[in-house]
Amino acid sequence: MSFTSLVPLIGISDVVIGLSLGSRLFLIAVGLSLIFGVLGVLNFAHGGFYMLGAYVTLAVVSNVIDNFWVAAAAGALAVGVVGAAIELSAIRRLYNRVDSDLDQLIVTFGFVLVIHETVRFIWGSGSYSIDPPDVFNFSVALGGSTFNAYRLVVIGLAVAVLVGLWLFITRTYFGSLVRGTSSDREMAAMLGVDVPRLYTGVFFLGSVLAGLGGALSAPLQATSPALGDQVIIDAFIVVVIGGLGSMSGAFVGAMLIGMMQSLGPQFISAGSIAIPFLAMVIVLLLRPEGLFGGIGE
Amino acid sequence: MSATDTGGRVSQFGSAVAEGWTRERFGLLGAVALILIAFGPPFQVYLFTDFLVVALFALGFNLLYGYTGLLSFGHGLFYAGGAYGIAIVLRDLGPVFADVVGAGISPLVTFVVGGVVGLALVVVVAVPVGWLSVRLEEIYFALITLAFGMLGYSLIIQDPAGLTNGTDGVIVLLGTVDLGGVSIRVGGRRLYYVISAITVVAATYGVWRIVNSPFGTVCKAIRESPDRAGALGIDVRHHRWMTFIVSAAIVGIAGVLRAGLASVASPGLTHWSTSAIAVIATVIGGATYFSGPIVGAFIFLYIRWGISRFPALEAYWELFFGALLIAVVLFFKQGAVGGLHLLRDRLVGDGGGGGAAEAGSRATSAPDEATESSDDDARTDRGDTS
Amino acid sequence: MVAPNSDDGNNRNRTGDAKANSETGSPVRRRRFLQAAGAGTAVALAGCSGGGGDSGPVTLGAAYILSGFASLYGEEAERGIEFAQSRINDNGGIDGRDLEVLVRDTEASGDTAIQQIRSLVQEDNVDGLFGLDSSGVAQAVAPQISQLQMPFMITHAATPFVTSPQGEHEDSVGNEYVFRDSNSLAQDIYGAARVAQELDATEWATIGPDYAFGYETWDYFQAYCNGLGVDAEFTAEQFPALATSDYTPFISSILDADPDAVLTPLWGADLTTFIGQAEDAGWFDQIDHTLFSVGMGTDYPSDGSPLPEGEYASTRYDPFVPDSETNNSFREAYYEEYGSLPTYNAEGAYRALYLYKEAIESAGSTDADALVDEFTGMEHSGPVGDYQFSETNQATVASIWGTVTYDDEWESNVLDPVNRYDAGPDVLSEALGDSDLPTGI
Repeated sequence: MSFTSLVPLIGISDVVIGLSLGSRLFLIAVGLSLIFGVLGVLNFAHGGFYMLGAYVTLAVVSNVIDNFWVAAAAGALAVGVVGAAIELSAIRRLYNRVDSDLDQLIVTFGFVLVIHETVRFIWGSGSYSIDPPDVFNFSVALGGSTFNAYRLVVIGLAVAVLVGLWLFITRTYFGSLVRGTSSDREMAAMLGVDVPRLYTGVFFLGSVLAGLGGALSAPLQATSPALGDQVIIDAFIVVVIGGLGSMSGAFVGAMLIGMMQSLGPQFISAGSIAIPFLAMVIVLLLRPEGLFGGIGE
Repeated sequence: MSATDTGGRVSQFGSAVAEGWTRERFGLLGAVALILIAFGPPFQVYLFTDFLVVALFALGFNLLYGYTGLLSFGHGLFYAGGAYGIAIVLRDLGPVFADVVGAGISPLVTFVVGGVVGLALVVVVAVPVGWLSVRLEEIYFALITLAFGMLGYSLIIQDPAGLTNGTDGVIVLLGTVDLGGVSIRVGGRRLYYVISAITVVAATYGVWRIVNSPFGTVCKAIRESPDRAGALGIDVRHHRWMTFIVSAAIVGIAGVLRAGLASVASPGLTHWSTSAIAVIATVIGGATYFSGPIVGAFIFLYIRWGISRFPALEAYWELFFGALLIAVVLFFKQGAVGGLHLLRDRLVGDGGGGGAAEAGSRATSAPDEATESSDDDARTDRGDTS
Repeated sequence: MVAPNSDDGNNRNRTGDAKANSETGSPVRRRRFLQAAGAGTAVALAGCSGGGGDSGPVTLGAAYILSGFASLYGEEAERGIEFAQSRINDNGGIDGRDLEVLVRDTEASGDTAIQQIRSLVQEDNVDGLFGLDSSGVAQAVAPQISQLQMPFMITHAATPFVTSPQGEHEDSVGNEYVFRDSNSLAQDIYGAARVAQELDATEWATIGPDYAFGYETWDYFQAYCNGLGVDAEFTAEQFPALATSDYTPFISSILDADPDAVLTPLWGADLTTFIGQAEDAGWFDQIDHTLFSVGMGTDYPSDGSPLPEGEYASTRYDPFVPDSETNNSFREAYYEEYGSLPTYNAEGAYRALYLYKEAIESAGSTDADALVDEFTGMEHSGPVGDYQFSETNQATVASIWGTVTYDDEWESNVLDPVNRYDAGPDVLSEALGDSDLPTGI
């Protein structure tokens, strides 16, 4: 097949699907990146948080209240609480260690196992899915192909989160504390910033974002215990490409990977799933700070 | 070596064994135990072989982590490299060898050649991967090794060269050796155990020699302070690279043995979750000790087996290890071996047991002194549990 | 067991109801209960499993997928086992001995399956083995079986290469110890090609799981179409990984190629996920015919009857055909017990116990080699009909394809009309034409 004959195959729906995949990746990656930028912790359990957000949303919708948006908020908050609890009980103990980075990675990996198995214990190992909220649950036909309108909602929400986070970090008092602490923790502490509380707050916020990503994705994917392990690797790729600690980087990186996942099957060639990992290696070697700058950018 | 010399050594060894709980006595008991296990029930022989292979995997991993301070989340790549190397040789070259050396002996020859090819493949991969990876440190090193591991996973799954048989992996059939009417199955439980035990003991001894050589001392110096080591004229990056290659090679040997044991080289071996097994075993056992990964592998496999005897719990063994991992890192980084040392010191008192250093303290003695003073452990001096 | 759990998502396909998970609470409780019950049995069994001897219970070991994307298959098999076991034990057991069955989880992994099977043989001293849900797993396990020298009755895994004698094809791993009582992919896909012959469709595509089963299905389909002279072009293929959570990109890629018909061997939770997402993307409006080769095995145990009506699906056993006394009474009793129609996986496992019963009683012992001798060339009859084990230890059962139709009486999808295509060795080998693929029979 020649290149020219391939080009018309990219439909509008492929682009929308790619962006919606990117949006859910952004929501998990931006929290991961934020936590790393401020706390210096690479949270291996972030994929587990995402999965937990989806499960809690499903459980609330089916058992408590038949309103997707309320359930999604509950899912995001529940994950935030779990995240804060993990920060307070475990990760906090490691900040002053010589090898704190690696110990944190190993401890959060321990939580990967714990969350995975707990979810399996409560909800079993099968997979669940739900419909998008009724208002948006219709097909949009554009350019000869169709996609669910809810995908546009997810993309819109991801953009809203990006803008909201940016305003929050650059325009609010708490944001200025976050920026200050991320660039110089000792100085911030001397200036009277309650660093431990700020850390818990940031970990909570990052976890809420992961939970929100899981909640919003629940109608677009099958939710199973394997989900966390699948998504964390994609999130690592995104934050490395975008730059650990960079929010805009997480957005661009997530959209790149999302488009790649959407268009990949169209351009089958041996090694196509290897490309993101290759990109990760190259970025790490040539620009370990990522393609984009630091926090708040 | 003259006869008297040998005799002298033997009597020296004998008296060392008689003296007390020395390294020699432990060695002798270990050797006797290894031989006795060969006569155990078949499933126990299998389980113990499994333990030996995982122990070697973790030991190789810890050469980089415990001794050099580099945490790799991609050592599954080398585990799989060894396994696929031998599996592909057995599949594609088995018949060729049968023509050359005769069908009777060819399974054994193919196995040995396959093992060597697997090891060579691992080294060929580890040289560039290590060279690139050691440019990074800490979390970035963990990420790049993770990326290399998953890159390998993707390539094995997609199989662009038509060698790895995609998701299903390559089936490993070790065959039967026929010599003068006697036929022995290479993959037979007991023979395979003997092969594995000899290989693992030899490789472990090799690692032991390395960590107690000047090379190992440099490793520790780099881990303690890369800057100071650099100031002393040590090429830190080069040294890390060399350690990376040796570490990968050890893991590759474990991978070769894994292929024959599992009877299949599957892409899951390269997945990060397999790399994590080495991390779990090492951390639980105690990364600061030479024997930490071995004890950790023992705990990992036997507790898992114990759990598997109770089907209600079987599905949740990962929960147990997740919790254990968290607890060890948070509260007792010396791990199981550290715990054993502490226990022994409590029981025997400070004077007994060859006078090993207390688990929590930092052994700063010269390497030879360290080996004299501890029974079976060279600490990697990584007791930084602030 | 967790079948509703695995397939909750499908409610929406039929009902359009967002509250797909209305039963979330109940399967969880059931699951816990069953696990506790399972523990009880196993502990009880550990005490009395001696195997080998001629007194005490006969112990059989089974290996199925009990966790992950295809757990509903293992759970269906467990029902079949439980059903047969209680019937056998209530009627005098096997030669007066009680029948015990130990079921282990393969986790859909060859490595794990081998370890579990070794443990069953060497730790629990079982007298015989059966099971397996995945072709990839079966291919890894088969060579081990001949080393363990213990008969293995495969009841679901469909790859033809495990009943193709080693050496026939480079992937062949068949040997004297491995048997299969259910139909193979080679038989099943022969039926698919026969369906294709009747359809007004020339451009064909596939979306299958990324392992042996997905690729073999497509290879055999193309070979049969060529052999039978079906006017077909093969225009697109997608092989997403097992347990993919979002099939949308793959679906959209197939839709862009715009084939007339698609053959899909997706199965388990993957199939239900795929169908939900395919409906969203307008798949069933755009593609004239979709053939589900593992369809009814996933459809029966799920609450929502996920397969869209009017499409084609196959099964390896049909609860209504043959219309025999054995089949009808099996269906009725099973439905009474479990409230759903028996799947082929339940029936295959059920029949495996009866095969062992017949072989052990005929041989007068549980000696492994004696059992292998009994199974070799055995003629047998069960709900699936009358069949015989071929020279390669494959049951000569028919290929069954039909149209998915909702049946109010059974509150379930059924195949109606349904066709049974004879798929014996001669038929398959002729239909494969010049292809070098083995018939596996």
